Amino acid sequence: MRDHSHQYERVRASYNSRILPMLPSRARWLGCALLLIGQLCFASDWHSPAAQLAGKISAATGPGVIALEINNRSSISAADVEQIRGFFISELATGGVRVWQPDQAAAVAKVTLSENLNSYIWIAEVQQGTGEPKIAMISMDRPPSSLSAQNAPLLTLHATQLISQSQPILDLAVLEGNPRRAVVLSDSAVSVFDFKDGHWLQTQSLPIAHATSFPRDIRGRLVLRKDHLFDAYLPGVICHSSEAGSLSLNCSRSDDPWPLAIAEFGVSGFFAPARNFFTGVLTPGIGKQRSAPAFYSASAIPKDKYVLWIFGGVDGQVHLLDGINQQTSSRLRWGSDIAGIRAACRPDWLVLATAQGDEEDSIQAFEIPDREPVAASQKLPIHGRVTALWTQQNGEAATAVYRNADTGNYEALQLTLACGQ
Amino acid sequence: MLTQETMRRFNLLLLVASSVIWSVPANAATRPHYGGTVRVAMHETPQSLDPLSLAQVGVPNISRLLFDTLVVLDDRGFAQPALATTWQAEPGNQRWRLTLRSGVSFNDGANLEPTAVAASLRAANPDWKVLPVSDMIIVQTGEPHPNLPAELALPRNGIVHGNPQVSGTGPFAVSQYVAGKHLSLVANDQYWGGRPFVDSMEIDFGQTGQDQMTSLDLGRIDLAEVAPENIRRARAEGHTVQSSSPAELMALAFAMPPRNDEEIHLRNALALSIDMPAINNVVLQGGGEATGALLPNWLSGYGFLFARVQNTEFARTERTLGKQSGPLVLAYDSQDLVARTVAERVMLNARDAGITVQLTTNGHGDMALTRVPLPSLNTQTALTGVALALQLPMPSFGNGSANDLYSAEKTLLQSHRVIPLGYLRSGVALQPGIRNFNMSPDGAWQMSNVWLGSDKP
Amino acid sequence: MSFRRRLLLLFALTVLVSVAAVTGIVSAMARRAFDRANDERTAALVSQFRREFTRRGDDVRRRVQAASASAAAGQIAVAAAQSSPDYSSFLDAAQTLAEAQRLDFLEFADDRGTIISSAQWPAKFGYQERLAKTTLPAYAFLRDEETPSGTVLGLFAVHAISAGDHKVYAIGGTRLDRTFLSSLDLPAGMRVMLYPNLAGPIAPERLLTTGDPIANPQALAQLVQKVHITDHDESAVIHWDSGNDETVNAFPLMGANDKTLAILLVGSSRQIYTELRSEIRSAALFASGAGLLLAVLLSSIAAVRVTKPVEELANAAREVAAGNLDAQVTAHTNDELGVLADAFNRMTRDLIEHRERLVQAERVAAWRELARRLAHELKNPLFPLQLTVENLMRSREQSPQDFEDTFRESASTLLSEIANLKSIINRFSEFSKMPQPHLQEVLLRDLVAGVIHVYEAQFEKMKIRNETEFTDSQPVSADPDLLHRAISNLVLNAIDAMPEGGKLVLRTSRNGNTAIIEVGDTGTGLTSEECARLFTPYYTSKSHGTGLGLAIVQSIVSDHGGRISVKSQPGKGTTFIIELPVARQILADGTSA
Repeated sequence: MRDHSHQYERVRASYNSRILPMLPSRARWLGCALLLIGQLCFASDWHSPAAQLAGKISAATGPGVIALEINNRSSISAADVEQIRGFFISELATGGVRVWQPDQAAAVAKVTLSENLNSYIWIAEVQQGTGEPKIAMISMDRPPSSLSAQNAPLLTLHATQLISQSQPILDLAVLEGNPRRAVVLSDSAVSVFDFKDGHWLQTQSLPIAHATSFPRDIRGRLVLRKDHLFDAYLPGVICHSSEAGSLSLNCSRSDDPWPLAIAEFGVSGFFAPARNFFTGVLTPGIGKQRSAPAFYSASAIPKDKYVLWIFGGVDGQVHLLDGINQQTSSRLRWGSDIAGIRAACRPDWLVLATAQGDEEDSIQAFEIPDREPVAASQKLPIHGRVTALWTQQNGEAATAVYRNADTGNYEALQLTLACGQ
Repeated sequence: MLTQETMRRFNLLLLVASSVIWSVPANAATRPHYGGTVRVAMHETPQSLDPLSLAQVGVPNISRLLFDTLVVLDDRGFAQPALATTWQAEPGNQRWRLTLRSGVSFNDGANLEPTAVAASLRAANPDWKVLPVSDMIIVQTGEPHPNLPAELALPRNGIVHGNPQVSGTGPFAVSQYVAGKHLSLVANDQYWGGRPFVDSMEIDFGQTGQDQMTSLDLGRIDLAEVAPENIRRARAEGHTVQSSSPAELMALAFAMPPRNDEEIHLRNALALSIDMPAINNVVLQGGGEATGALLPNWLSGYGFLFARVQNTEFARTERTLGKQSGPLVLAYDSQDLVARTVAERVMLNARDAGITVQLTTNGHGDMALTRVPLPSLNTQTALTGVALALQLPMPSFGNGSANDLYSAEKTLLQSHRVIPLGYLRSGVALQPGIRNFNMSPDGAWQMSNVWLGSDKP
Repeated sequence: MSFRRRLLLLFALTVLVSVAAVTGIVSAMARRAFDRANDERTAALVSQFRREFTRRGDDVRRRVQAASASAAAGQIAVAAAQSSPDYSSFLDAAQTLAEAQRLDFLEFADDRGTIISSAQWPAKFGYQERLAKTTLPAYAFLRDEETPSGTVLGLFAVHAISAGDHKVYAIGGTRLDRTFLSSLDLPAGMRVMLYPNLAGPIAPERLLTTGDPIANPQALAQLVQKVHITDHDESAVIHWDSGNDETVNAFPLMGANDKTLAILLVGSSRQIYTELRSEIRSAALFASGAGLLLAVLLSSIAAVRVTKPVEELANAAREVAAGNLDAQVTAHTNDELGVLADAFNRMTRDLIEHRERLVQAERVAAWRELARRLAHELKNPLFPLQLTVENLMRSREQSPQDFEDTFRESASTLLSEIANLKSIINRFSEFSKMPQPHLQEVLLRDLVAGVIHVYEAQFEKMKIRNETEFTDSQPVSADPDLLHRAISNLVLNAIDAMPEGGKLVLRTSRNGNTAIIEVGDTGTGLTSEECARLFTPYYTSKSHGTGLGLAIVQSIVSDHGGRISVKSQPGKGTTFIIELPVARQILADGTSA
């Protein structure tokens, strides 16, 4: 299990701005609106409240060695939490209190960063000996933008039509730039499209050479790379692009695992070479778990101390793995394809899930505040059957491919989540 | 670990996305439409349409349609002007001056006068002295009331005119009312907050949850209440469901304070024996949130400190310290289907700890499975309201800091008069054509902004 | 007791004993027949119960299978096949299926025993279902099921649903309650009860029954307890407060683990038997009454046919006893009574002949006695006469000198003896000429006092003290002279009996219509033989006398229609008792004696 709280232990505060709650409310909002990065206005000044609470903690424990545990129950981002941790450690040190391992500490300070409707509430539970812990808490105003997930209004799932072609599209990646470029993976080639004059025009097609035949319902995945443009994963075949001179494709037989969700999560899964699903074997695994039930698709949702992985199982069920536990939810009527996505106004990742209708499929965004998916958007009707759904490299968008029920063409969509109606 | 490159891309895209969101003009198709009728079904059967009665039977949403309060709380619990435009407390917080909004008239045509406001507030708060002065009213209380604006925002303090046929200044006016059965409302064209988008509302009372969902499926109504335990299913069935934050407290409220330490141990044992997460996940189908606090954590911020984990072994130990002379009689509302299952689960859990619990529906028991809707989005007012509803001692809040609030709630819990079980969401299922319906975190409907889309059946 | 009464009693006893015996036998037979019929009906009902049990069990099994085959059960199975199953969405699945399949109980449990969904106790999810971990019976079985309202007896069936490598068990059932009992076709007078819950002490209020509740179920507690302890069939006759009796057969109903879970009670009213017994008793009473009447009638007839001849015989015998030997009995039949009548008639005829012969013999004897007495009386004076005459003759021959003296002496002796002869002849003449009494009212006390007065001088002389006791103050009809003579004779006899003096007691008294005179002495007394011969004429115990005194007394008394008797003891004295009738008719007819 990944523990964010320990990853940035050595991060120090780089600046110490004025405490925002001290500003008049209207002036504060105006300033933030002008900066257009309102969230950052608040997120930047955690030093003063940390100092206040650290003072209360050190007053409770006295000088010495304590263990510090910080839990985030608020909308404060993980990065800010680490920053706050740093503030705490430094402020405690100022009061003569050193933070050390729990087994060598005389007291344990459990700090919870909580919030209510209009305030951040930071609470320290100081446990010394076996008595009842001492409680210290401070509160400060909280900006209205970071509403918790349960109270947030529905998001709008936007679909942008990209490429349409008769050949099956396995995946599509958009390269922002000028011109916008789209790389389209099909079962026989990787095609490159440029967006010119409001149209996507194919500029290049790189055939995929492979010795073995592909299975029915072939699937493939494009992963953008920083050292070369992309890798294309196909059943039993991996193609690496090369930009030496002109763009070329070098395909070889390989059973290397495919990156799941986005490559940054660092988890890959082995794809069954003659089938259309992942075998379930993971590398390097999720926490202590090295495998999942065979699955079609996967999505990851980072939590405070772990990453919750969600798999669209071959058995039709949704499996949730958090590194220790595996949970199955059979009642979710999700389709085979799911994909992670982020929304600008939500702290957590969301999941796009397909759903099968009588004639047309749909895609809907869900939040997973705990283990229970909560619909975060209306269903987006798809005029046909969804054949592919992959998270795009940045996580801010997803690619969906469907076969148009009228034309029979394969249509690639770029899906994004917009806040508000 | 995220690479710097990726972070850079992320930030860039974030900026681009934000720019897009800000720069996209509102689509004309999304502009609200005026007109139409919203048809609503409700479970409750209000027999009278004054704010006090409506608050007592737990139908504040109807009250908000008909009556305004001097102050309203926004979704963050901050007081906002309503019929009063400004308010100011004199030192000591015992005497408040509120300036009334001018140009407001009741639905019966009478102008909003301070005398009517004073009369309304006096009726709802006999302990207060309310004096009309010019375009103001002065509220004088015996005790300091730093949260008077939040109290004034309670639906029970809705301002009425006339007797016995009361009239309000709300966004809707009554056109027809059959007590306990049906209510027809028409939009108040002169509403000071702007005329509602819909022309009228038809509200059927006394409809069971199943009837409401059937009516919704048949297109006979546009808005149906969804019980917390049905929210997940309604969503799974494809309904458009909005739910509140977990806002309605479900608790075991004891009729009498503990008489001795043995009784305290027994109540502790009972509290420790209850597996509320199981009740929430299964009985309530995830429609709530287990809690050991009186106020939900999203409102207080510290509620998690009272979290209680089932520990049958500890419960048994406490049980041995306690003394049970006869079965603990747990009363529950026989009309509340989920209450029965919860009560039976409590009985089973208690049995595991060696405590005999007997169920009754006659209303008389040692304790009652009680549901208390969140009274207010103001923490102090909410805690006071919960204490009042559970017949607990009135909390005192010191200087009103978070720590004081925490201490007040802890004191209430340590009275051993109540075992909080969980907070429940309230849900509403909507026809797809219902637009811009929003619920406050406490479940209050915001109907004034609702409009009907073109795909309304 | 008369023969007629004896006969009546005999008849009545015969009838009553017969009726009682018949009643007893019929009652016993009726009881045996009733018990046999009752056993048969109970066995039929129990058999019906078992058939219904089996039928319902099959029904339950089908319904549980149907529930197991439902889509919801399939979803449960799919969920159970997962390594970390989530059952939360199945909370009310069992309820819905139970309603659809009309099952009172339905639970789904996985092979770890975890309850996935429960219809009867929805809140029990996650708890352990002990059955899922045991060997599951393939048939329907009884089971105590725990519900929020208490333990309920049900008929259950289990069906296993395959869930990959795992299994899910559907455990469903229906209540075994009044509805079940009501479905049984009960013969008249029978009822079925069920005691369903044997946990804890016996509580009769748990008893389920068809129809009206039992007013006092406590009466069955002992029977229930007994079956619960023994696990065997038991029966008892219950006496209800209403007065009705009921035979209750109790059968233990076992669960799958052979533990008694409930007790079936089959009640058979004994009212029919009681009524039958009552009717038999009524019939017996009626028969007894009729028998008694018949006994009266028969005894009357028997009396007519048997006692009347016997009574005639008795009357005739009484007449014979009274001296009327002419009495005859008519023989109506040829049976024993007819023979008896003939024998009686022959006897009377023989008696008449014997009497006549006896009279003749007595007459001859009397004459002989008279002749002997007369000869004796006459011979006694004649012998001195002869001696005197011979002495005279000898004197004239031998001593004529003294002849004269001798002559004078002899002449005197001769005259004396001749006078004696005349006296003897006079007494006999008087006895023969005893006059008929002339009755008149006489006060006996006066009469007796007169006699005493006559003999007072003699009493003094003889040193006899006399005592009198007169309690009779009423006059009697009598001839005073004759009666005076008779009493005088008795007084003289008494004086003779007390030569050395003594006490003479004279009493008069009355007993009903009889006047009594007693004359008692304290003389030498008489032996019983002497007493027997005392009134025989010419018998005397005295050295002098003719022996006619007491005969004369008896004759006088007899002529008055009375009788005389004697009581005596040798050495202590003798008392003569004269009983005289005082009836007027005797006065009127006094002449006839």
